[in-house]
Amino acid sequence: MAAAATCGTSAGNKGCTAAAAAAAGGKNNVTSFQRKGPRASVPDSGCARLVSIAGTRPSVRNGQLLVSTGLPALDQLLGGGLAVGTVLLIEEDKYNIYSSLLFKYFLAEGVINGHTLLVASAKEDPADILQELPAPLLDDNCKKDFDEDVGNHKTPESNIKMKIAWRYQLLPKMEQPGPVSSSRFGHYYDLSKRMPQELIETSKWHGFFFPEKLSPTLNIEPCSLTHGYIKLLQFIQNVIYEEGFDGSNPQKKQKNILRIGIQNLGSPLWGDDICCTENCDNSHSLTKFLYVLRGLLRTSLSACIITMPTHLIQNKAIIARVTNLSDTVVGLESFIGSERETNPLYKDYHGLIHIRQIPRLNNLIYDVSDVKDLAFKLKRKLFTIEWVQDNYLRQERNIYPPGFSYLLKQKDSAWGEGSLQHSTFLMSFLAKTAAFASRLVRHSEPLEQTDSRSILQAAGPGVWRDGRRQEAPGLLAIPP
Amino acid sequence: VTASKGAGQGSRRTLEMESVWGLGGLVLLRDSVEWEGRSLLKALVKKSALCGEQVHILGCEVSEDEFREGFDSSINSRLVYHDLFRDPFNWSQAGEALPGGPLGALRALCRRTEPGPVTIALDSLSWLLLHLPCTTLCQALCALSQQHSPLGGSPPVEPVRVLGLLHMELHGPGPMGALSSLAQTEVTLSGTAGQALAHILCQRPRQHPTHQTQCFSILPDFSLDLQEGPLLESQPHPDPHIPPVEPTTHLTFNLNLSKKEREAKDSLTLPFQFSSEKQQALLRPGPSQATSNIFYEPDVYDDLDQEDPDDDLDV
Repeated sequence: MAAAATCGTSAGNKGCTAAAAAAAGGKNNVTSFQRKGPRASVPDSGCARLVSIAGTRPSVRNGQLLVSTGLPALDQLLGGGLAVGTVLLIEEDKYNIYSSLLFKYFLAEGVINGHTLLVASAKEDPADILQELPAPLLDDNCKKDFDEDVGNHKTPESNIKMKIAWRYQLLPKMEQPGPVSSSRFGHYYDLSKRMPQELIETSKWHGFFFPEKLSPTLNIEPCSLTHGYIKLLQFIQNVIYEEGFDGSNPQKKQKNILRIGIQNLGSPLWGDDICCTENCDNSHSLTKFLYVLRGLLRTSLSACIITMPTHLIQNKAIIARVTNLSDTVVGLESFIGSERETNPLYKDYHGLIHIRQIPRLNNLIYDVSDVKDLAFKLKRKLFTIEWVQDNYLRQERNIYPPGFSYLLKQKDSAWGEGSLQHSTFLMSFLAKTAAFASRLVRHSEPLEQTDSRSILQAAGPGVWRDGRRQEAPGLLAIPP
Repeated sequence: VTASKGAGQGSRRTLEMESVWGLGGLVLLRDSVEWEGRSLLKALVKKSALCGEQVHILGCEVSEDEFREGFDSSINSRLVYHDLFRDPFNWSQAGEALPGGPLGALRALCRRTEPGPVTIALDSLSWLLLHLPCTTLCQALCALSQQHSPLGGSPPVEPVRVLGLLHMELHGPGPMGALSSLAQTEVTLSGTAGQALAHILCQRPRQHPTHQTQCFSILPDFSLDLQEGPLLESQPHPDPHIPPVEPTTHLTFNLNLSKKEREAKDSLTLPFQFSSEKQQALLRPGPSQATSNIFYEPDVYDDLDQEDPDDDLDV
């Protein structure tokens, strides 16, 4: 209170006194609004106690505890990260090249943050999977790696100043990779190197290799769930209960996150025949598995990534059910073998990434990305996600008014010609153009010719101040 | 010069074929009614046997004598024929049939003990797929081609090559897709004008898959004759009938502006651009502003309220 007194006497200003008193009160705990508990004095623990777990942070939007997927660009697309207690489903690409990268990123992020891992696979030994995790880029001397990997794709074309479609300059930038310290949320990994052996050895992990757990002599009693799924659920449940990841048993030690990774779920190697026949007897076993798994996750400090060969699943209804039962769904579509591989529109990319579903957690809205056309590229060391912005579209945006390039792009997108969305969009576009034109007329200075023809001309984009039409190449011509 | 060049190309092709060959794992030979694949299977079996490998054959569709026909004795001595053809369900109980049916035979192959590289030929996968559940077969194939030594600690096992003959017409897309996802290499047989073609799709783990098309013929002694033809080498896409897409074809505007046109375009001031002259024109209280009028003609149906809407305000 001494500070307040001196301030008040010297300045003689009431406002200053009040402010200083408030500040002093906050400092000296005079106010009755104070935080309970002994940890209030520690400056770091002002937030929720959960933040003390390494590699997590609360969501800005809904307060959920988030973990990183290991790929900061994907974190950004999913609304900051993957919420603890939710399932991230990756729809595999045809040859399972890129989806296994995402799988490994997720596990590597867990190794770096000291999370416990649970790796389940029916095809590869989990120990082998861990050996192939990518190496983290932690030091500042990795900067040059980024420069050579990231910087070289910058084309001079990309800095064209947009004259007409200035709106596109305001598009949000994708997360650019940069070297980070080990304390940050989300790290970058070098795919050309393997994770150092000592890091893997210090990490705690549980492996579930299905062929090892499968006992051929055992006669399996008929059950609603496939044998492999039951075994896996029991294994996950055991780990969660015994290691104390569930909230019901108070953890004695430091709280930690369990990262669960399940590879090729639904493939025939798990004993599930949804990939083989369209109408199979146990078509519900996958959905039941996901339902039980979600229940386990919701009540524990764990996050799960599942890769699933959805292109092999014969019955499309199962895919819809699986999507509904997962929280976040990301689809990968590689260009290998498809006609898009030779399409110059996509020549810079290796595939498309589709954000199929984002969970609504604790609120009605959800973080959905503004831009839908996302492509991924596998560089020498990094897996990056970018907006599809090729030179054609960039040029075309420069020529056309905003909205028109969007219209053109719909030609090769999902909207069918003459569909409802298509016609709705056309209508709204035409209405906007009309409004644009009428605004031009209203704001233009008095015209020398006042007949209606000049007003009609004014609706065109190539209008000069005196109402004379300037012929410009490349500009949209109004049909007479 | 041309001859040596051609020879070089031929050897490179053969080398590529070898590299496909040396990978191990599951090799699917997908044949059809027109282009049967058993002779190719036998040619590959002969090649393995000539390399000194032990070759196990799980024969379901042809008898042992028929399969061994055409091989000479040195090769035949290396072949171990597991006969499922004669007694597939173990009815005779003579003891010579394989116990446990086809699944038992597959699992017995998994537990092989002899050292050295091994080739296992399944003749055919189609028969197995019709007699076993798809998932069971996939699991058995995966175990067969991986062969993690269950004892542990033993030196890494040599790659096991599993050759599976698959008749394409007999199966739906589901089992085909499931088996393809397990396969390291898929060889699809087709042909044009009497010339057999093999489309080889090779998936190395964590690498881009490679496509290759190869002309071949099988000689009467079941040796493989790779021919070079005027062939589409490692096409980017397997179907040559898809024309390359050109995104600029149907544009309604001109992307290829000449220099003059581009200058003209750049010199154009757009109506919404705020230039300095426009600013000057707005700031200057010139005569042009004085002469501008607002003409307003009320519509007949306009509901005009005579009262001042703001009269309750204390203005």
